[in-house]
Amino acid sequence: MKVEIEFDSAWKEGFLERLEQDGPWSSWDLYQLCLEVSKRLSVPDFYGLQAPNHLPHLTPLPHQLEVAKQVVEKMNGKAILADEVGLGKTIEAGLILKEYMIRGLVKKVLILVPASLVSQWVTELNEKFFIPAVQQKKSYVWEQCDVVVSSIDTAKKSPHREMIYQQNYDMIIIDEAHKLKNNKTKNYEFVQNLKKKFCLLLTATPIQNRIEEIFHLVSLLKPGHLGNAAYFTEKYGKMRSLHADEHLKALVNKVMIRNRRMDTGIEWSKRNVETIVIEFSEEERELYNAVQSLKNISFGNQFSLITMLREVCSSREALFVTLKNMLEKHDGEAPPYFNELIGKINAVTKNAKAEKALELIQSINDKVIIFTEYRATQLYLQWFLQQHGISSVPFRGGFKGGKKDWMKELFKNKVQVLIATEAGGEGINLQFCHHVINYDLPWNPMRLEQRIGRVHRLGQTNDVYIYNFAVKDTVEEHILKLLYEKIHLFERVIGELDDILAKMELHHFEDYLHDVFFNSRSEGEMKIKMENLTAMIDFADNLNKGGKTYAAT
Amino acid sequence: MQQHEIHHFLERYLRANQCEIVENGDGYLMTQLTVDMDKELMNRPFYWHYIENTGGTPAPMKLTFITKQTKETEKLKGERLHFGSPRLHQIFQSAQKRGSYIRLYENIQPSGQPFVPLQPWLGLNVKVSYQCDRKRDFLLSLGLHLISGTIIEQFQEQLQQLELTPKIPDYCFTITPLIKPQSGILRLEQYMKNMIQQDDHSWADEALKRWEEDLALLDRFYEETDEKPECYYIEKASLEEQYKPSIRVSIMNGGLFYLQPRPNVRK
Repeated sequence: MKVEIEFDSAWKEGFLERLEQDGPWSSWDLYQLCLEVSKRLSVPDFYGLQAPNHLPHLTPLPHQLEVAKQVVEKMNGKAILADEVGLGKTIEAGLILKEYMIRGLVKKVLILVPASLVSQWVTELNEKFFIPAVQQKKSYVWEQCDVVVSSIDTAKKSPHREMIYQQNYDMIIIDEAHKLKNNKTKNYEFVQNLKKKFCLLLTATPIQNRIEEIFHLVSLLKPGHLGNAAYFTEKYGKMRSLHADEHLKALVNKVMIRNRRMDTGIEWSKRNVETIVIEFSEEERELYNAVQSLKNISFGNQFSLITMLREVCSSREALFVTLKNMLEKHDGEAPPYFNELIGKINAVTKNAKAEKALELIQSINDKVIIFTEYRATQLYLQWFLQQHGISSVPFRGGFKGGKKDWMKELFKNKVQVLIATEAGGEGINLQFCHHVINYDLPWNPMRLEQRIGRVHRLGQTNDVYIYNFAVKDTVEEHILKLLYEKIHLFERVIGELDDILAKMELHHFEDYLHDVFFNSRSEGEMKIKMENLTAMIDFADNLNKGGKTYAAT
Repeated sequence: MQQHEIHHFLERYLRANQCEIVENGDGYLMTQLTVDMDKELMNRPFYWHYIENTGGTPAPMKLTFITKQTKETEKLKGERLHFGSPRLHQIFQSAQKRGSYIRLYENIQPSGQPFVPLQPWLGLNVKVSYQCDRKRDFLLSLGLHLISGTIIEQFQEQLQQLELTPKIPDYCFTITPLIKPQSGILRLEQYMKNMIQQDDHSWADEALKRWEEDLALLDRFYEETDEKPECYYIEKASLEEQYKPSIRVSIMNGGLFYLQPRPNVRK
């Protein structure tokens, strides 16, 4: 066939100008450097991946490279990436995007993700892939920035919607694409009307309930690939699973890649979990009881009371900070119980947990991360360990990027212990460390999972040790024993729980727990409520596992 | 691009732009930027605006580039460069921008002959891209003799054998082109057109086939709808953008070269 040849005239104009004005001319050295750069940046082959050469600090796993290659070479840049949770779909998407950008086939990109993941996507693309992605904050961003990350809820609303439709996107990436399984929704319609030259849909659960879901997803990507709606319903509508029809399965697999954990051949290192129950000292116990007895007098809100109980389990310093803040709120006029509590705080002379931690750190004799919920505890621990000749560095979510890296480097090369208050989804990998002490526990299983995920993730080659501290006969022990251990939190693969909780649509986990603890009239009632909660999680878990068998393999 | 190649590239880039190399160590380079290069690389227009308006003493930055991880460079404060890093990419762009246009003369040692005529050549280095939903590039280097119209390939390689200088050497004079540079460019474009047309274009046939397949699927998807919805047309347009084969030729750099007459080039 005859292909149109287009000559770029940009150079010619500059040349004629210089002829007229007799210069300026480059030096022979610069001329040769320019040519060398052109050689380096040209892509010699239609096939293969260029991106890894541009990302020497990133070591993608074999299955991730395979996915990227397949999407570019065989799927023409339109695909559903449906790996199971935790296999790195974001990395795959980043590799594919980078590849197209290097080849000059993609410039303008729209990335739609759940609101909670926007900043994480921006950071990952910038830091791991050197792709200058920008979070959509102002409306001019749509027009002026090439790679924009936004939530779909923002994007579909006016005036954003209209502005987006005016842009000429080369690539659309949609994370958590299973939310588009229903073709009757506004989201679906919005995405359907986007121009999709290249398109990636990311989901760990391409089919949750009905076979039509895959039809709708595929039809967004490549309308007609599974026929039209009438044809599909007639032919496959009664099926519950993709396995039932080889032809359909083969068709779907032309546009969808799904890796399973067991197929990737990646060996997950072992995770050893140990619960360490700690006995309060007499003075600590008295303090705890004193706080608990506030429940009987009319005391502010339940939230602060339970927070205070949790603080006692961490350190007297943590409680003290809260009391001080309360005093300020009362304009310095102390509530009646105040002095009593301060007296009890002063009576505490040792921290049973800290002593246990010290003993443990000394016996581990290797890098350890301590997670605590409270900054006061963090400071105390740093001081306490220092008294015993162990130096440590602090780590907080609020640290700026450079400080984070610096602390990480110090931990890696200089000190034994890192004391962190926030695991955050902020993507620091601490895989060189294999011991984690959960000094106190967050009341949100996702945050606990994130903590563990800092060290136990793909690529960790050593076994990982997790030590969970809980003070006997306190709220802390209840949470650990009645909730976290019951739902096998510590044995789960990272990411699994997220799926389960998403299915339960349990958004305010912490509030729910507070309610259980505060409003139960007896320990028996509290235990029953906790059992109900774990039963619900179990149920959602089974549903999930059942659901997965519908998916293509 | 290997790390030592990056190091070598930086060294030449800085020298070519008159930046002093303060220290050239194993795996690192310290350089004092010139004012010009500070403006080019450091992106601080407000500083320069301020200095120029207040008449302050300009203080262009000193930079350290680290090209290899060693015990020594680990302790160094500096920018770590590797292929794909934004800073190196910026330097690449700068090199491309600064090395686009040239005019050189062959340097000739004076011999018995009193006046040596230098003949004009138009030299172009060109990138050709074959593009559909995939892409591949290749480079061409062509030289056009602006007297006879003779075209030779791998021109750049031949230039690299010669000693070239930006000033016309003593005892030499240049011959005025018979072919104007502007029409010279057109001649080379025509030459490339012929060359490209003779190439194997099965890649384009295959892309066309993929395009037709997807178009057929799309039509089937909407076959039962009498009036096609807007998204049908959006999708159709995006298939064209995705698959339509095209060839793009862009000139990377080029210029005029005045060379001694060569026996293998007919006049």
